[in-house]
Amino acid sequence: MSAPSATAVPGDTGRSRGSLWSKAVYKLSRDRFGMTGLAIVLVYLVAALGVWFGLWGQGWSDVTGPMWAAPSGEYWFGTNVIGQDIFERAVYSTKVAFEVGLVVAVLSTLLGAVLGALAGYFNGTWIDELVLWLKGVLDSIPFYLFVAALAFALKGYAYSMHVAMIATFWTTTGRLVRGEVIKLRGFEFVEAARALGVPEFKIIFRHIIPNTFHILLVQATIVFVAAIKSEVILSFLGLGVKDGVSWGLMIAESTQEVLAGQFNNFIWASVFLFGLVMAFNLFSDALQDALDPRSVA
Amino acid sequence: MELLQYAIRKLVSGIPLILGVTFISFVLMVYFGPDKTYELLGKNPTQEQIEQVRHQLGYDRPFLVRYGDYLRELTTLDFGHSDSTGERVNGLLGRTIPISLALTAPGFVLGNLLGVLLALVAAYHRGGWIDKLIMGGAVVGMSISFLIAIIAFQLLFSSSYGLNMFPVRGWDVYSLSDYVRYVTVPTLATVFVALGYNTRFYRAVIVEEMTRDHVRTARAFGTPPWKLLYKNILKNSLIPIITRIMFSIPLVVISGSLLIESYFGIPGVGKVTYDAITTGDQPVLKAVVGLTAVLFVLTLLLTDILYKVVDPRVSLK
Repeated sequence: MSAPSATAVPGDTGRSRGSLWSKAVYKLSRDRFGMTGLAIVLVYLVAALGVWFGLWGQGWSDVTGPMWAAPSGEYWFGTNVIGQDIFERAVYSTKVAFEVGLVVAVLSTLLGAVLGALAGYFNGTWIDELVLWLKGVLDSIPFYLFVAALAFALKGYAYSMHVAMIATFWTTTGRLVRGEVIKLRGFEFVEAARALGVPEFKIIFRHIIPNTFHILLVQATIVFVAAIKSEVILSFLGLGVKDGVSWGLMIAESTQEVLAGQFNNFIWASVFLFGLVMAFNLFSDALQDALDPRSVA
Repeated sequence: MELLQYAIRKLVSGIPLILGVTFISFVLMVYFGPDKTYELLGKNPTQEQIEQVRHQLGYDRPFLVRYGDYLRELTTLDFGHSDSTGERVNGLLGRTIPISLALTAPGFVLGNLLGVLLALVAAYHRGGWIDKLIMGGAVVGMSISFLIAIIAFQLLFSSSYGLNMFPVRGWDVYSLSDYVRYVTVPTLATVFVALGYNTRFYRAVIVEEMTRDHVRTARAFGTPPWKLLYKNILKNSLIPIITRIMFSIPLVVISGSLLIESYFGIPGVGKVTYDAITTGDQPVLKAVVGLTAVLFVLTLLLTDILYKVVDPRVSLK
């Protein structure tokens, strides 16, 4: 996204002696869209934590109201076909979305970092070949078929969707980290560490991977968004969230309701989903602008 | 001759990829997939009948033999008959792939063409309000789920709550006008969802090319803007554009669009494959996954040749 470059430039010159990170934080804090996005994400996070600690959203499965009640003081967003409160369900789903997003983002980014760093560090050896081969293979299997097959292979394991996403979403991170590590391993600090006799795995994990952190951070936000969006489609296809409720399941049940002219379920699940994804996209863009000195807006 | 040599070497180097895709899919979809034995049997089967059906389905043979059989089927492109319907797999694919292609092709082409076009406009007005409007729209488009777009477009165009101009679902295509009627709403949804991602990607590519020295020089020589955009910028940024388009082709052709097909009830190859996974129809699965892998390798080759076509400096070695 376009950063307000006119305001950032005079500040940058005064801080040219700061570290990459302090400059990035400064640049990020001046990005209006990015900070708005971050604020909205934090609101969602509070909502999710509240559900986690049992403060609200606990009545998501209670059948309390009449079928398809209109929005009112009691049912803020109305009720669904069997009389469940749509507001409660939408809020509870925030927690589910964060669970999916965080688990997949953290684990697949870690996997991408480790495999990418190994491939980059041992560039040209069989390890590199193996990782590249694995990436090529995973990228060539149609994603939804892979998830469906894994769901059946794992015999209805409740987290098969998470496993499938982690297994496939690391490939982009891995490719980017590999490229960066190939560059880094020629640097003097790596040479110095090797000359001092630091073991190779320690060079990789202590010296090289921390230097790819700017890539990992941006990739984690991108994967977070991808995971939430995929959850919606997978839940609709019956491959997603197994117990509880999610925005995807709400939209799936609303496909019957919209044909009967009942839009509350569809609209509110969509609005909640759109808000979080949009806010995260804005934040992710700002992060990318702040962390990549070469980026051109 | 040089090209042929290159093509053969490239195809040979694609064999590990095909082996990997087929092996992983084989383990997941065939070895751990649903067991069809009892579906094909009557009530209270005898041990003998059970064994007969298992033998017929090939379940009783060792793992490596079955995988070897699969590879042989892939090289001869003969996958036998579907376990569920008894239809020849090749016939089934011959019937469903054209439907998926007809369904996804317009959206795919339009999504990329409009994406490049919008990206050119945005890059040309870089930093101005037109650029900000287009890129802001792209972020909004990227944030809307495909599923939501499909439902919203269906409501808008095909239901009595909207314009009610197109059929709600299905695929009853016997003439061009039928085709247009059934393909319009899925295409609109596809284009809508793809446009955000495409525009952003293409704009980044084009802006990077715009900041090159040769563009500045051409501008200094007074090249008119449209010529600058087409000849100096677009033509030089074709490599990443071709890469993006080519690599989405195998997935579009073979797996179709599972979501669109299952939502609109269209009997394309995506839907057939999904059903094959849930029912454990192994011959169909083996065919679809194997062909996707082969197509991927062919695409890799074709992409390299296209690089050479658009940029003579690229050498095939």
